[in-house]
Amino acid sequence: MNIFDIIGPVMVGPSSSHTAGAAKIGYISRKLMGEEIVKAEILLYGSFLATGKGHGTRMALVAGLMGMKPDDCRIPESLNIAKRRGMEVIFGESDLKEAHPNTAQLKLTGVTGRKLEVVGESLGGSRINIAKIDGIETNFSGDYPTLVVHNIDQPGHVSEVTAMLAHKSVNIAAMQLYRSNRGGDAVMVIECDQEVPPEGIKWLEKAEGVVKVTYLSLED
Amino acid sequence: MIVYNTVEDIVRICRENNMLFWQVIMRADAQERMVSEDISFAAMREMYRAMKRADSEYDKNLKSPSGLSGGDGEKMRIFNSTGNNLCGAFMGLAMEKAIKMGESNACMKRIVAAPTAGACGVIPAVFLSYETCFNAPEDKMVEAMFITAGIGAVIAKNASIAGASGGCQAEIGSASSMAAAGLAYLQGGDAECIAHAMAFALKNMLGLTCDPVCGLVEVPCIKRNSAGAVNAISSAQMAMAGIRSAITPDEVIDSMRRIGNAMPSCLKETGEGGLAITPSAQRIKETLQ
Ligand code: SF4
Repeated sequence: MNIFDIIGPVMVGPSSSHTAGAAKIGYISRKLMGEEIVKAEILLYGSFLATGKGHGTRMALVAGLMGMKPDDCRIPESLNIAKRRGMEVIFGESDLKEAHPNTAQLKLTGVTGRKLEVVGESLGGSRINIAKIDGIETNFSGDYPTLVVHNIDQPGHVSEVTAMLAHKSVNIAAMQLYRSNRGGDAVMVIECDQEVPPEGIKWLEKAEGVVKVTYLSLED
Repeated sequence: MIVYNTVEDIVRICRENNMLFWQVIMRADAQERMVSEDISFAAMREMYRAMKRADSEYDKNLKSPSGLSGGDGEKMRIFNSTGNNLCGAFMGLAMEKAIKMGESNACMKRIVAAPTAGACGVIPAVFLSYETCFNAPEDKMVEAMFITAGIGAVIAKNASIAGASGGCQAEIGSASSMAAAGLAYLQGGDAECIAHAMAFALKNMLGLTCDPVCGLVEVPCIKRNSAGAVNAISSAQMAMAGIRSAITPDEVIDSMRRIGNAMPSCLKETGEGGLAITPSAQRIKETLQ
């Protein structure tokens, strides 16, 4: 147990799950997008939907999507800031079934037209879980540099990716594999101890059978 | 490698290695995160200073987004300054700072979760008031902050620090016991005294439910920060007087876990019981919608 999870984090109130956790979901999604977000459809579920207004959940999510961290004093102003920046924000209800009570489903468009859909859960104490990316299960905390590779479900892709990481001296902290159906879309979620260099990501994006690469860098 | 899971572990490590309570917590942190003790100490100082900044940035004119809270900390300040303060300068100031921090949190200002955002006023209220009223050096305050963190870590491990799983005893109760332990140290208490200050404070908060109106961290949370601060001071004073808890500190924590588990879910942050379903709360709910 890290004692700075007990004393800390420094955050904008009022709620570690509904404000700080929401900001973190937005922030991690912005990092995963890798470029400025111009349009965000924010669909809320459960307690995020029911009590989110009084907790500033909407403001916190939008702030995060603009790259603000949970301790950013501009969070209460984020909806106005988004408007000034010309970012289009739409709120709605999520139609997810049986999700975690504090869940946000984010449908995002980046400045180059890149699309990304993230389902994020706020677990309490500002810890979060990225539960889905583009509709496929993922499950990672955003506390490590994380590589998410969507590929066609064929033999050989896992070893390709791990070989690249070994070559770049990146140590794997945790690795998970998911797929929608046999031979269909598959996802690798790899949490790393070091940052993956940009050329490694570029190489992966071009590799055969790889549909999409999403990378969470923790560098500012 | 220093590992502790209970309050008794910490007291034993102090005794066997001739270390102070806070040093055990700091060394364990440095080892776990693989950083130097200087870095660990600097990080805790940063947290203490962030609490100070949050306290000084209180804005008496702010209202929370719901409109339910704001301005009460200023009322406390004015009342204290009229000389009608019932309970002395230190406790009066602690009550004022606790309410201010709770309001700052509700008004979306920057605070330090300690251990949670809802309970963020308790520890800074006691500590910042102590530093002012007793002219304590900042290093000493940071040492005491490690004690609060260590106690919080033990509670998190063996019970809970989340209202949703343990009720408010887990939030305000934990914060109060953490503050009591730190305060006992500031007053010169040894490891045993620190442990019993913690035990008193937590015992006094057992059974406290989490029943916030409209599910917002405002009513009753803000004023409970004041109660948590006052309880911490009274508990530290009992321990300093040499009074000892008949139930051991770790058994108090175990009791908190069992009570939290036995608590119905309508009293654990769901807004479906207790104060949250009173006619007054219903009226507030209607005006908010
Ligand atoms: S009543 Fe609930 S939300 Fe409020 S401080 Fe206590 S535990 Fe936190």
